[in-house]
Amino acid sequence: MVAVFALPPFAFPDDSAALRGDIRAFLARHQPASEPAARANCWAVADPEFSRALGAAGFIGMTWPEAYGGRARSAMARYIILEELLAAGAPVGAHWIADRQTGPLLLRYGSEAQRRRWLPGMAAGEVFACIGLSEPGAGSDLAGVRSRAERVAGGWRLNGQKLWTSGAHHAQVMLALLRSEAGSERQAGLSQFLIPLDTPGITIRPVIDLVGNHDFNEVFFDDVIVPEDALVGVEGDGWRQVTAELAIERSGPERYLSSHALLAALIDSAPQDPAVVRVIGELVAELWTLRQMSMATAAKLAGGEDPVVEAAIVKDLGNSFEQRLPQAIQAVLAADLDGATPLLRCLARLLLVSPSFSLRGGTREVLRGIIARGMGLR
Amino acid sequence: MTAMRPDLERTASALFAGAPDWTAIAESGLPRLLVPEAAGGFGGDWGDAEAVLRLAGAAALAQPLAEAMLAARLLADAGVALPAGRVTIAIAQGRVTDGRFTGSAPAVPWGGASDAVLAAVGGELLLLPPGVATPGLSPAGEPRDRLDWQGAAVLAAGRASTSLGKSGVGDSAASEPDLLALAGWARAAQVAGALGAALDLAVDHVNTRVQFGKPLARQQAVQQQLAVLASEVAAAGMASAAAAAALDAGGDCRLALAAAKLRANLAIGRGVAIAHQVHGAIGFTRDYPLQLLTRRLMGWRSEFGSEGAWADRLGALAVARGSAGLWATITG
Ligand SMILES: Cc1cc2nc3c(=O)[nH]c(=O)nc-3n(C[C@H](O)[C@H](O)[C@H](O)COP(=O)(O)OP(=O)(O)OC[C@H]3O[C@@H](n4cnc5c(N)ncnc54)[C@H](O)[C@@H]3O)c2cc1C
Repeated sequence: MVAVFALPPFAFPDDSAALRGDIRAFLARHQPASEPAARANCWAVADPEFSRALGAAGFIGMTWPEAYGGRARSAMARYIILEELLAAGAPVGAHWIADRQTGPLLLRYGSEAQRRRWLPGMAAGEVFACIGLSEPGAGSDLAGVRSRAERVAGGWRLNGQKLWTSGAHHAQVMLALLRSEAGSERQAGLSQFLIPLDTPGITIRPVIDLVGNHDFNEVFFDDVIVPEDALVGVEGDGWRQVTAELAIERSGPERYLSSHALLAALIDSAPQDPAVVRVIGELVAELWTLRQMSMATAAKLAGGEDPVVEAAIVKDLGNSFEQRLPQAIQAVLAADLDGATPLLRCLARLLLVSPSFSLRGGTREVLRGIIARGMGLR
Repeated sequence: MTAMRPDLERTASALFAGAPDWTAIAESGLPRLLVPEAAGGFGGDWGDAEAVLRLAGAAALAQPLAEAMLAARLLADAGVALPAGRVTIAIAQGRVTDGRFTGSAPAVPWGGASDAVLAAVGGELLLLPPGVATPGLSPAGEPRDRLDWQGAAVLAAGRASTSLGKSGVGDSAASEPDLLALAGWARAAQVAGALGAALDLAVDHVNTRVQFGKPLARQQAVQQQLAVLASEVAAAGMASAAAAAALDAGGDCRLALAAAKLRANLAIGRGVAIAHQVHGAIGFTRDYPLQLLTRRLMGWRSEFGSEGAWADRLGALAVARGSAGLWATITG
């Protein structure tokens, strides 16, 4: 049989209830917005104050070694914290990237000095990071990156442009993929750089999204000089490093909980209409299954394996679910979208922003290509 | 997972590959997989049963093994001796008066060929004699007989909830008996196996079938469709395995069992169409083995609760508990 998803179900150990209790207690003290629309897609909602409180409570970078401000907890303990934050609609956007991606990448490839410099602030919820991959000419085809880094005395000179950079206006650093070898092509000659965004020569301009939010940005580099140690990992190894980075970001609970605020608000409106109740039931079955898949994948990652195909399946199914959720509810709700109730405002918001769920972090088509290759189709 | 699972899987695969008759299945002992060793069974856990039923689904096994397994387990739980011969399960309607049952059950798997029937009637489990059978057939050509009982002596009776009170779905007092939820879960395991086998056939087919001068597998449209099918296989498999794990862990399994069956049904709806589409006309023939799987899948989708029926129950459970209660149930 094609073993595309040979993962045993994961069950949390008994002592996890205490941790769940801790984060629920934290959320009771730092309550997310009562307006469901503000809780929707909450990992794109930045609230630096919330992040600082969360960091102070030890819930950011919690798997990192204590020497770098972490708590040396297990990856599955972190999973509990993430799913509770997301289900509650907490505004985790400011620190999300540092916690999920940039910190772990520094632990994997960064130098001791880089870790000491950046990780404690990230774990404290005070240093935020953004991802500089996409460019005007490099979207799905990331090997089309053209922004470049040239060696100069004592460091690097950066020129070029990044696009769709979420949270660059809140972040202190960007982890960027740049072409570090002049004249190189495609996957070769790329390197990763950690760039402090207050360096002279960097311009960050908002790109306003379709609902009027300022989430992503365009970021310009004009003769930006960064020191030698801005390079992360091995020069020329950027493609390999970034591919590993993308795989870890794919299968977390944020890939199926982006629309959870709407499902929760609908359930709490105590609907009587059998058609609405039926849709809720269908969505709950998918939610339960996706959570099992995501946890099983996380457990495999935690065990040191590399479940690339499983992660792509979780993201594709999860994105399709969180995208379908608002439409399925709209199809049975007898109400115009006039913004008259919190539920309708949340519905309208998610109907508009959910198309982005299958774009960010790897498009549906790219993911399905990965799954197909995993089955040997090419 | 019990230590015997790898052996069990090997034995079951070999057995199922030979299109066994009921005697061979009975002799293998698999119907007593879920019965404790002290009661003469294998002492397997629900995860073991899931693994075997998945293999049965993949092999398009044309025998009521899932039904017999569940009946044997529930009877063992109730302390009732397992009757000789073939025992199937039924969701029946009717009433018991003075120890005699009058009622009927639709579409009972191998109903007419069984020696006893474990029937869920309202909140009760009744062990009944065969009853009068009116033959019926599933889309795959398996017996699905209507059974009628007229004052039949009840062989044994117990409350469904004594053994399985935790696994029915719906917070209302009138929740269906648990046999239905377990049977729905067993179908989900079979679905996971059968849909996986359909994926295997599809992958083999697109790798070998050449059109436009290259294998179909090289067409991106075909690749993307099969990625969707693979994801549905993954979801159905995870759902049935995770529900089995929930049964093994004990506690409230109602949500898990219902979700597994409902998710399996969704996977059938999305997956079967793709398996057929990438096969073209060859998959539409009697000779090609895809039909052995897809005809069963389409029948199973209706059995032991349609998507709508399970969605109604899960939805009611969610609304009754509220979003926080639901989340606590899901993560509990
Ligand atoms: C909300 C949001 C936040 C984002 N945040 C960030 C960020 O923080 N940092 C960052 O670097 N990027 C970010 N991105 C960018 C994101 O990674 C890209 O949008 C994505 O990689 C797709 O690139 P593109 O938009 O250029 O689309 P394109 O690559 O132009 O693709 C357009 C469409 O064509 C399809 N397509 C492309 N190539 C193929 C192919 N070979 N086969 C089949 N179909 C194909 C795509 O799947 C897609 O449907 C963000 C995007 C969104 C929507």
